Amino acid sequence: MLVELIFIALSLIALISALGMISFHQPINSVLSFIVTLLSIAGLFALLSSSFIFIVQVIIYAGAIMSLILFVIMFLNIKEKNIPNEPKKALWISGSLIAITPFTLLLVNALKTLPQKEATIINGFGSIEAVGRELFSKWVLPFEMISILLLIALLGAIVLAKKEQNI
Amino acid sequence: MIFVTDYMILAVLLFSIGIVGVVSRRNIIVLYMSIELMLNAINLIFVALSRQFEQLDTQIAALMIIAIAAAEAALFLAVIVLLFRNRRSLDANVFTLLGQREQPKNDK
Repeated sequence: MLVELIFIALSLIALISALGMISFHQPINSVLSFIVTLLSIAGLFALLSSSFIFIVQVIIYAGAIMSLILFVIMFLNIKEKNIPNEPKKALWISGSLIAITPFTLLLVNALKTLPQKEATIINGFGSIEAVGRELFSKWVLPFEMISILLLIALLGAIVLAKKEQNI
Repeated sequence: MIFVTDYMILAVLLFSIGIVGVVSRRNIIVLYMSIELMLNAINLIFVALSRQFEQLDTQIAALMIIAIAAAEAALFLAVIVLLFRNRRSLDANVFTLLGQREQPKNDK
């Protein structure tokens, strides 16, 4: 019973703050609202008995990436005249919500035909030890390739954000 | 009673909200966060599938997606800083260097 209540509360918070993220005018409000979405998705990961992904989501996504975005927004010193003024924003958002509804209903109905399985919590299923054993036995090569990708992204960010460039 | 497919339905709803954000907004920071929201919805589907079949492979895939999102965040923020330094705007309609020959008027 408690798990159902937590699931409903977390999913409502995630949906409402995601809608707030796409409808706020100021980017800083959008970022704060998106952090709430990420944290509630992290809670859903914990309910799906994957504790390591929960920790990674809280530390890397909500902690590192989002604070990097907050830092960049405050560093850019955005004034009101720099923000695009969108007079028909509510019309665009509601119109595309209506346009996306058939696609969503199709996917939801397709998902309902999957075999139903109750999402009870298993002890030690997604723990650090289990995930680490899987990661360093079957997935070593993708893991090393991810490290090369991160290095390339680091170099690209340094080259792009250098001072003497003109577009 | 909560089934695993309920988590996937929630992920589909979040993915649709992300598509709506990409289609209907012009602020590039909101565009970036909508893309991140779609990545997170896919992550939620991966983790729910891992719970459904009780296998850990899809959780590793979710970890890879988080690492790729971190790399994407670094590059995207560098591009935002570069564009804002040159054009003084966050409007996606202003950045038309590759699309049009002359600079269009900003419709404010």
